[in-house]
Parts: sequence; C-alpha cells; structure tokens
Amino acid sequence: MIVLMNRQQSGLLFILAMLLMMSACSQSADITPEGNAGISSFLESDDNKGYTRAEKIREFRFPEDHGAHPDYRTEWWYFTGNLATEEGRHFGYQLVLFRFALKPGRTTRTSNWATNQVYMAHLALTDVAAQEFKFYERFARNAVGLAGARAEPFHVWLDNWQVKSVNDDSGTWVLQASEENLEIALTLSPSKPIVLQGDRGLSRKGPSAGNASYYYSITRIDTKGTITLGEQRHQVTGLSWLDREWSTSALNEDQEGWDWFSLQLTNGYDLMYYQLRRKDGSIEPFSSGTLIGPQGGTTTLRAEDIILETRDVWESPQGGRYPVAWRMKILPAGLDLEITPYLHAQELDTTVRYWEGAVSIQGRQGDEKIAGNGYLEMTGYAQ
Amino acid sequence: MAQSPATNHSPLLSLRGLTHSYREGERVRQVLDHIDLDIGEGEFIAILGRSGSGKSTLFNLISGIDQPQSGEIQMLETRLSALNEHDRTMYRRRNIGFIYQFFNLLPTLTVRENLLLPLELNKLPPDRADELLAAVELTDRADSFPDCLSGGEQQRIAIARALVHDPGLVLADEPTGNLDMQTGQHILEMLDRLVRQSGKTLVLATHSRAVAEKADRVLALADGKFTTNVEAFAW
Amino acid sequence: MDRALALRRQKILRLASLRYLLQHPWQLALTIIGIALGIAIIVAVDLANESATRAFQVSMENISGRATHQIVGGPSGLDESIYTRLRTELGVRNSAPVLEAYGASGNETLHLIGIDPLADARQGSRFGTTEDGVIQELITTPNTALLAAPTASRMNLTKGDDFEVSLGGRSYRLHIVGLIKPQNQSAAAIEGLLITDISTAQEITNYLGRLSWVDLVLDANADAALVEKIKASLPADAELVPAASRSNAMAQMSKAFRTNLMAMGLMALIVGMFLVYNTMTFMVIQRRHLLGTLRVLGVTRRELFQVILSEALLVGVVATLLGLAIGVLLGQGLVHLVTRTINDLYFVVTVTDLQLSATPMIKAALLGLGGTLIAAFIPTLEAALTSPQAALRRSTLEAHTHVFISRLTVAGLVLFTAGLLLLLIPSTAIFLGFTSLFLLILGMSFMAPLLVMKCVHLCNRWGSTRFDITTRLAIRGISDALSRTGTAIAALMLAVATTIGVSIMIDSFRSSVVDWLETTMRADIYLSAPDLGSGRSYAALDTGLIRNIQSLPGIAGVSEGRQVTIESGALLTEVFALRFSAGIQPGFKLKGGDPPSIWKAYLNGDAVLVSEPLAYHRGLQPGDTIELRTDRGPQAFGIAGVYYDYGSEQGKVLMERDLYNQYFQDRETGGLGLYLKPGVEVDSIIEQVKALAAQAGQNIRLRSNRDIRAYTLQIFDRTFAITHVLRLLAILVAFIGILTALMALQLERAKEIAVLRATGVTPFEVAKIITLQTGVMGLLAGLFAIPTGLVLSQVLIHVINKRSFGWSMESLINVNELFAAIVLAVGAALLAAIYPSWKMTRTAPALALREE
Repeated sequence: MIVLMNRQQSGLLFILAMLLMMSACSQSADITPEGNAGISSFLESDDNKGYTRAEKIREFRFPEDHGAHPDYRTEWWYFTGNLATEEGRHFGYQLVLFRFALKPGRTTRTSNWATNQVYMAHLALTDVAAQEFKFYERFARNAVGLAGARAEPFHVWLDNWQVKSVNDDSGTWVLQASEENLEIALTLSPSKPIVLQGDRGLSRKGPSAGNASYYYSITRIDTKGTITLGEQRHQVTGLSWLDREWSTSALNEDQEGWDWFSLQLTNGYDLMYYQLRRKDGSIEPFSSGTLIGPQGGTTTLRAEDIILETRDVWESPQGGRYPVAWRMKILPAGLDLEITPYLHAQELDTTVRYWEGAVSIQGRQGDEKIAGNGYLEMTGYAQ
Repeated sequence: MAQSPATNHSPLLSLRGLTHSYREGERVRQVLDHIDLDIGEGEFIAILGRSGSGKSTLFNLISGIDQPQSGEIQMLETRLSALNEHDRTMYRRRNIGFIYQFFNLLPTLTVRENLLLPLELNKLPPDRADELLAAVELTDRADSFPDCLSGGEQQRIAIARALVHDPGLVLADEPTGNLDMQTGQHILEMLDRLVRQSGKTLVLATHSRAVAEKADRVLALADGKFTTNVEAFAW
Repeated sequence: MDRALALRRQKILRLASLRYLLQHPWQLALTIIGIALGIAIIVAVDLANESATRAFQVSMENISGRATHQIVGGPSGLDESIYTRLRTELGVRNSAPVLEAYGASGNETLHLIGIDPLADARQGSRFGTTEDGVIQELITTPNTALLAAPTASRMNLTKGDDFEVSLGGRSYRLHIVGLIKPQNQSAAAIEGLLITDISTAQEITNYLGRLSWVDLVLDANADAALVEKIKASLPADAELVPAASRSNAMAQMSKAFRTNLMAMGLMALIVGMFLVYNTMTFMVIQRRHLLGTLRVLGVTRRELFQVILSEALLVGVVATLLGLAIGVLLGQGLVHLVTRTINDLYFVVTVTDLQLSATPMIKAALLGLGGTLIAAFIPTLEAALTSPQAALRRSTLEAHTHVFISRLTVAGLVLFTAGLLLLLIPSTAIFLGFTSLFLLILGMSFMAPLLVMKCVHLCNRWGSTRFDITTRLAIRGISDALSRTGTAIAALMLAVATTIGVSIMIDSFRSSVVDWLETTMRADIYLSAPDLGSGRSYAALDTGLIRNIQSLPGIAGVSEGRQVTIESGALLTEVFALRFSAGIQPGFKLKGGDPPSIWKAYLNGDAVLVSEPLAYHRGLQPGDTIELRTDRGPQAFGIAGVYYDYGSEQGKVLMERDLYNQYFQDRETGGLGLYLKPGVEVDSIIEQVKALAAQAGQNIRLRSNRDIRAYTLQIFDRTFAITHVLRLLAILVAFIGILTALMALQLERAKEIAVLRATGVTPFEVAKIITLQTGVMGLLAGLFAIPTGLVLSQVLIHVINKRSFGWSMESLINVNELFAAIVLAVGAALLAAIYPSWKMTRTAPALALREE
C-alpha cells in the first residue's frame, strides 16, 4: 500500500514540477532554487478540496476502470517491460501516461480547448547491446483530442503515443509510440488476471483515512512486436507489466523517496515490492508488496518479510547516487535474488529526475536456480 | 651665344642651348633662346633684365620647377633633363635656396619654423636654424609669424631660409625689388656677405644696374639671349 | 623605407598645413559641421529605417517564435482539428497552435496571442519570463491573461488586476495572472504583448473551433518526408509555408515605403557629399599659394599628398564621429515618424524605440571618411600636379577651373543622357528607376557651373553699361571664383530641386487621392467593426445589427464589404468582397476598357476586378487570370478590368460577394457603406446607428463621407511628414555649403576688398557687393533648380512611384511652389551672406593690405 502512496507522491511531484516547469518554461529546463520554493509553498496549501478521495474500499468494474477517473487529482497508466530479439538482444521499455487535474470539476466553457485535465507521458528505451538509454517527455491537455483515456474500447493516448485495444475482442492491446528515430509497436496480451493491490484495491499510505489510492496491476503481459531504431527494425518478444493507480491525497512530509521493484521470475512468480525511505534514514514500516503466483494467487508482503542490501552504486552525472544493484531476500517464499541493472545509466532527466530501468535477476529458491527480469524505480536520490 | 668668361672657379652649373617659349594666344613668345652659360662654384652672378625678359623663367628652369623645351642644364654631375618630377624636386630641395621679391615665407609657420622646414626636408639637424637667425640678426623674432615682420625683416628671413640647408646654389629673384633703397642696400650687403662667407654660388636677377654691380659677373638678358654689353643695355 | 617614420619626421611640414586650418577656426568648424550633417542624415534615416524593420521583425518573432514553418488557412483561419490530426496521427511534436488578434485598451494597442502553454514548439520568445504558477490559471480560468510588463506599468496595471480590452468591436474584461518580462530581448520587443490560453483567445475573439495558424519547427532537410506527409494531410483551405517566406511576404508590404525613405536619405547623402566636396576643395584651394611655396622649397608631390590627405582624414574622423552622434539624436525623432507611418499603412508595430545597430553606423562612417578623402583627393591632386610657379598665381587656378568646368559639363551631359536611356528600358525595377534618377540629378548638377558662368557672362555683357561698378564687381566675382562658388551653387540647386521635385510629386499624389476619394467614396456614411490592422484578424459586424441598420427608414441602400488577406505561398493578396443593394452604383473608376461590360462581368460573378497596383506588380491585364488559394483549393479567377485605387500599395482583388461566398466559408461583413435617401440628415442616421450598435453590444467605427476623406488625407499627410523633415535637412546642408563657400570666398577676397575700401568704397557698399553676389548665386541656384526639380518630379511620379507602388497619378505643377523655391534659394543664400558681410565690413583695410 505504501508503494502506492509513494507512487502517488511521485505523481504529485510531477504535477508540481510540471506547473513549475510551465511557469518557468522561458527560463531554462533547470529547476531553479526559487522554483523549489514554489513547490514547497504549493505542498503546504490544502487544495485537495473539491476532489474525490480514496477513502473506502470500492468495487472495481472493468472495463470501466481502465478509463480515466477525472474526479481524482492524479492517475496513471504505467507500462514497463523486458523484451528480446531471437538472437537475444535485450531491450527494456517504459511508456507511462499521467493524468492530472489542475482544478476540480468540469468546465462549461465554449471553447473546445477549455479543460481542467492535462496529461503527461514518459517514453524510455534501454538498448542493452548499444549500452544506450533514451527517454522522452510530453505534455498535452485533455481537449480537442490531443490526449485522453477511454475505457471502452480501451484507448489512452497523448499525441501519437498510445495504447488501445484491438478490434477483435481478444483482449489484446497495441502499444505505439515514436520519437526521433525510435519507434515502438507492441501487441500486449495479458497472461494473468488483474491484481487488486493493497486491501481489495484500496492502497492506504498512512494512518489517516483518505490518504490512499486505488491501485490495480496486470503483472504479466505477453508482449511481441517491433522496436525500430532508425533504419534497424527488431522483432522482439517478452513480458510487460501494467500498473494503474488514481488518487487525490498528498503524502507525508517525512518521506524522502522510494525503491520500487516489479520482478517477473522464470518460475512463473511475479513480485512487486516497495521500500519507502524516510528523511531520517529509516525505512517506513508501511513498506510492502505482493507476490503473485503463476495462476494469479497473491501473497501480501510486509517490510519485515523482506531483507534488502545494496550491491552497487551508480553516480549520476547530474548529481545523486543511486543504489542500482540489490540483493533481495523474500523470507516467506525462501527467495534469494541478486538484482543487477542492464545498464547503470537509466536515469530520466525529465521534469522530475528519477531512475527507472530494466534489471536482470539471478537467484535461487532453496536449491532451485531462478532467473528473471524486472523494472526498478528509484526516486529521491537526485541532488 | 656662348659666354666663356675667364674665371678660376670650376663650373658648378652649366647651361647649354637652353630654350623656352610661352604661348600667348596666337603669339609665341621666345623667352629664352639657346642660352649657354657656365657658373663656377662660389661665383656671384647678376642677371640684368627688364620685367618679362625671362629671368624668372631661367630660375624656374635652373631649379627644376619647369623644364626647358630644349637644351641641357647640368649641376655638377646631375643632368636635370634626365630627372623625373620627383627627382627634380629632391634636387631642388637639396641644392637650391630661393629668395623672392615677395619673400614667400609660409604664413602659417613662425620665423624659426620657416627655417626649420628646409632642414627637416633634408633631414638635417635643427641647430642651423638659430645660427642663421643670428646671422640675419633676427634671433629675437624667432617665434613671430611672418606677417608681423617688416618687409626687410621678412626678406632677411627669406635669405636665412635660402641658406639654412646649405644649398650649392642660391637663386635670388629681385630680392630688393619690394624694398626701399636703404633697406634694399642693407639686404643686398647681407646677402653678399653671407653667400660669400659660406662659399656658395649666387645667381641674382635684377633690373637694377646698381644692384648688379656687386656681382662678380653681370649678364644682361634681352630678347632671350645674354649679352655682356651691359653698358649698351638700353633701359 | 619607413614611410610612417618619414611622415612623423615631417612635423614642420604638417604644421605648415594644419596651422592654416587652426588659424581659420570658423571655416574648420563649418567644414566639420557640413560633413557631420551629411553623415547625420544618413545615419538617422538608416537607423530609423532599420528600427522600423527591427520592430517588424520583433512583432514577427512574437508571432512565430522559433517556428520554421506554419500551416495557414483561408480568411477564416484553420479548423482546430487540423492541429489534433497533426499531433495524434502524424506525431508532429514540434507544433503549436496560435490564435492571433489585435485589441485595444485605452490608448494601447495590444497584440493578443492565444497559445497552448503545453505545446512546446517555441515558448522562449513568446513568453519572456512570467512568474510562478500562472500557466495553470491560464488554462483553467477563463479570461485570464499575461500582459507585457512595460505595457502593464504604463497602463498602471499589475498582477491580479482586471482591465477592459476591446476586440473585434466587443469589450472583454481580462484578469492579469502574470506579467511578461523581457528576457534576452529589449523591453520594446514584448511591448503590447497580451498572451492568453488558446481557449480564452477563442472565446474572446469569437473564433471558436478555429486557429489563426499552426507553428512548426521542422528541419526541412531532415524532415523532407514529414513535410510531404504534412502537406498531403492538409485540407484544401490549409497550406504549409516556411515561416521566413511568410515574414518576407509581410515585410514586402512595407518595402516600397522603406525603399522610398532610403532614397530620400540618399538624396540627402548626395547633397551632403557635394558639401563635403565643396568644403574639402576650399580647404585645399585656399592654400594653393602655401602649397606652391612648399613645392618650390622642394616638398614632393607625394609628401604634399600625404600631408593633406592625412589632414582630410583627421577632419573626416572628427566630422564622422560628430555626424554619428547627431545622427543618433536625429534618428530618435525620425523613428517615431517612420513607425507611425507603418502603423497607419501596413501593420501594427508596437516598437517605437530607436534600435542602435552597427550596420548603419559603419556604413555612414565609411561614407563619411571615404567621401571626405575622395573629395579632398581631387583638389589635392590638382594642386600637386600644378607646377609650383603656376600654383602661386590664382589666375591659373581659375583657368584650370574653366577647363574643369567644361569637362564637368561634358560628364554631366553623359550622366544625364545615361539617366534618360535607363528610363527607356522597359522594366519595373525600382533600383533602375533610382539609378536613373540619380544620374539625371547628378548630370544636371554637373552642368550647373557652366550655366552659372554663361549667365554671369551674359549678365556682364548686358549690364556693362547699365550696372554701376560695384554691381558689376559683384557679378563678375561669381564667375571669377567659380572654383569656390560652383559647388556651392550646385549643392543649393540640388537641395532646392529636391524640394521642388518632391513637392510636385506629393501635390500630384494628393490631388489624385482626393480625386479618387471623390469618385470612390459615394456612400454618405461608412461604418466598420474596429480592426487594428494586421492582415489576419478580421473584425466583423454583428449580422443582426446589419439587418437592423438596413431597415432604418432613411437608408436608400447599403454596400457590404469584407476585406481579407489571402496567403498563398509567399504571396499575400488582399481580397475585397463587396455587395451592393439594388440601385446603388459602384463608384470605382476603371482604367481603360468598356465600363458597362466590365461591370456586367463583375456583377455576374464571372470575373473579378484588380486594383491598379496589383495589376502593375503582378503584370496583370484584363483577360488574364489571378490564382487565389480558396477554401476549396487554388482557384484561378478571370480579370474583367483594372480600377484605380490608392488605398493599398500592394493592391486588391475586388470580388462580388456571391462569388466570394462560393469559394470561401467566411460569411462575415467587416464594413458597411450607407446610402441615404435624399433629404435625410446624416447626423440623425449616425445617432440611430450608434443606438443600434450599443444595443447589439458592438463597438463600431462610424465615419461620415466627409470625415473619411479628411481622415484619409490626414494619414496621407502624416505619411509624408518624414519627407518634409528630410527636405528641410537637405536645405540645411546646402545652406551650410553656401555659408562655407562665402566664408572662403570672402576670406580670400580680403585683400581685394581692402583695396576697394582703400580706394574709397564704404563698408555699406562692400556689404552690398557681398550681398548682391550671394543673392545672385542664390537666384541662379533657384533658377536652375526649377528644371532639375521638374525632371525630378516627373521621374518620381512616373517612374519611382509607379514602380514602387504601381499608382499612376496626374502631375500637378503649382507655380507658387516654383516661385517659393526661388525665394528659398535666394533666402538661404542671403542668410548665409550675413556673417561674411559683417565680418568683411569690419576688417580694417590696412590690416588686409599689409598681408603681402
């Protein structure tokens, strides 16, 4: 649940940063000290008024809940995945669309451009063979068809970055995004059912009620398609992961950042774990996760179930040290995993700077050797 | 008409067959007609002639200001006809000192500066200027402008200027013509003295027989030719 | 060997020359002022011109940011869905929608730009710097705006204030959520800028669903395929154009005006160069005696040359620096005149500050120094080449001058003939027109000295028995001193001729415009939605209001007009769609052809009419076609005839409204012409119309026929205000020339005058001689200026104006004007004589006589 909250924090940071960026867009891409002052003043203000909050357990309805929930401040569709060509050339990708409400309520203005909802999207590709990491960012308003989300038939898009359902009732989606010389075109077929995270999808972030989000995932999605880099087109296959979350509340001020893991193991198990770091250096006791079995059965993991050790540190040229390699023990499952990044430099120097990248897993469960791939997200390290 | 006076001076300047004429409307006036003349070093020659007799023309030819239509001018080793305009100017700058009836001092320069100019042009040290100023007894007027000086004083400066750069030949064109008799006399004595002191050659053009008498040799110029028959010269 | 060293050594030599100048400080001052003024005019005109151009560029930058291409639409803009398709189907990320309009608030003209803050094609130049957290407000709160900080402070507004802005005839209340501060640009660059979110912009311009254009940042080489893809995706009414060509098309609009301005500046330059030549010539020839003496003393030609030219250079440098300084001051005044004219005639520029840029300064400095040196070179050469003994005599100089004058006259004839021949070349090139104009003028100026000489001789012969001796002396003095007086007379002549020529041109122009207004403006009252210029925001009248006005009892009929600018490729074409009520006779005057059949073709919608400038610029004739990019794609329209129009220098296409409606979606009406029934009071209808407009909440601009004529002529006169200023400056320069010439002459004559005084001529008589002399000089200059001015005017009217604007006009010669020119010339000359006369009469003759 805390994982969700932290993801939410990242969303909030994004929106604040975005506002800052827009207000300072003529200055420079750098966030100035004055700009940070602007952020904190925004944080202190209580402007959740007018938004719906995630306060109680609700019934999730599909496909409706795949669409947008504009009464909540923040929402995202988070796609990540590890893919490879037949020859074994490995790629990691990330396409995430964020929705932010700038103001509660709907507009009743005459211009089609009038809206309170804006979208932001990040696209990233890890090209292991080329030792290259690319990332892009876009913004658009939820108006005149520039960006939006629709449940049926499923479609979420910003400009020409989009994920939408295929017309054949097969339940598969296509994911398309291109920028500069990169073009990604994938077919996504979920191979596990939807997992409601936290308590039946309500993911509380702290002791006070209402500071929570609604959160569901599809942790294993069979993926195939093409990744085109300039003239080179690669046929790839692999697994993707979808996180969906919407909420309104801000998070606690004593939290500094988080390390979030989404791991897909060769034995059919998937694992989501989230460790929240507080400013005093301690680990938030609410840190938690979920272990999803091959058939979709779930086991909730608490902080005391996990032992995490840093194995390697990468120093960002932009400032900040990221613990990019980890040893993770999941005590209830008897798992002992070595998590190493495919590339050290997988930092997104976007409006908010964070590290999100493909990782490979080697380890064992008892005597059985286990491998896998995953995604690791780390925030709060940038300096 | 060749003039070969008996003199113990070696020739400094020699003119051979010098001819020059002016066109005045339809008429051509022959100013100099095949003139031959040798002038020795240190000699003082007076050229006697009426206005328009060609004295000034002769001076212009000798100084290289103008070129003769035919004939030769030779100063020591230098044949003027072989020189171009620039070289003739350099020749004039080095070898000629000019004195005019109307002084022709530079009004924009002080007395001393007027003397410094030939020195500077010849890249000579400036000390000679004061020496000459003393010689013409005008040291106290060194910083005056020429227009503050009397005619006599101006002409004394002109004499100093003509001698200051130590030229081989001094040409004086009616130097007393613009002065009263007494002042003229004074100037003439000073000119004679200074030129002889320095061993320079002086050619003086005048219409006055009295003036001409100071000279070693007097030539009369009439109808474009020289005549020694000064007495027969009709005034 | 080492020339610099050699020159340094020649201290005394240079002193001899330089001290002459210092001993005549008045003349030195005049020389410097003369040259400086000449340069100042060039700098001022150039700077003003450049500032206007810069102002234009700045407003273009504000409009297009760093866009390389733009997608533009027809008269009613673009459908906003084009932008969505561009983004979502073609994925063109570097694109941004823009909605532009001009509004007014109090006395301020505001340039409204509606943007999408989230589109990232080019925020930099658009935003300047805003304060934190305002973009959210812009997007989500209606009627919020950013206002340029300098404009806001002038309007006494700040963040958080509300203010009224009038757009397309309606008022809106906007809330300022932030101020735009200049960033890497001057405060002037953002002057008048009003930014809103595109939603607010659509709402307050009533342009729902439409965009003005879409900005794109494309690398045309790398994105060639993309460019093709975009082009293929566009509907018929949209077009992809390079941003630069679009700016050029806009810039083109005012090019002719700026070219004309530059020509005025060049005219001033020529007068200035005469002056420089004149003064430098004096500087040299007055010292001929001095130079002759130096030559006798053995100073070589080269040394003389170096001394005088280095002196000229010194004078040139001082004068040039002074000229640059004066020019900047002068430019400050001119730039206001220039921008006002541009605002009146072409497009809205919000910049009125003088931009100090290097190019005009460097250009003027080179002209100043080069001109001074060249001007000094010729007389120096002459002095150096003259044999020393000849140099000591002035008669030689005048003899040389007479030889020089005959050569000059021959040169003048050659130039004049060349100018005439150039005119015969059938071309529309303005450059050729100007070249021939200058050749003609130079040719005539070169012939002036000979004419002076002949006149004076004639005068002398005629006057030898009639004039007293002092008069004869005075007159003879002119030709005797032609080396001094010749250039001065020529310069004055040129300045006065310019005055005559330009006056005739303006008078002719004005009378043609008056004529045109009378035939064209037939309605009794004109009303329009206030539109603040700029081709693309078209204010429209409320349709209900139009209907109500039409049904007012006193109205006999109306004409409904709609003027829009069609962009196709790099061409902007103004289209004027008109509809007349039955029984109203169109008031357009046709150029050639058979009017009834032309009108028939026009009214049937078979063909359009084009105005004279458009026909001229595009080489169109009746029977040709003109292609316009309509909302249904490019369409060729037949041309029935050409009509006179002085309203637009680019020209217009006149199109019957039904024909327009066939090809364009636009249904708005921008203005009405009201024709009243006989006996109906104009004022009462105006009151009724005002009441109706107030009812409809529409701001309108209402003008009676008389007012609109007066207003048009007021703009006309304002346009030419700058030419009046330039003419005055040219006269001033020439005046300085005459003054310098006289000073020089009188100084040189000191002795002659002294002799006159010694022989018993009184100071009064001396003054009379001098005054008479200058008066005659002025008179001669004035007399010669008349034919020159007439030639000038005809070239301006029939060649320059025709080629620049395409307007034909009847030339109108006002005899009073010619007479005034002579008075001006004589007056300037006499004025210049005052000081020298005064000085000469006060000089004690003894002093002058003493100087050998």
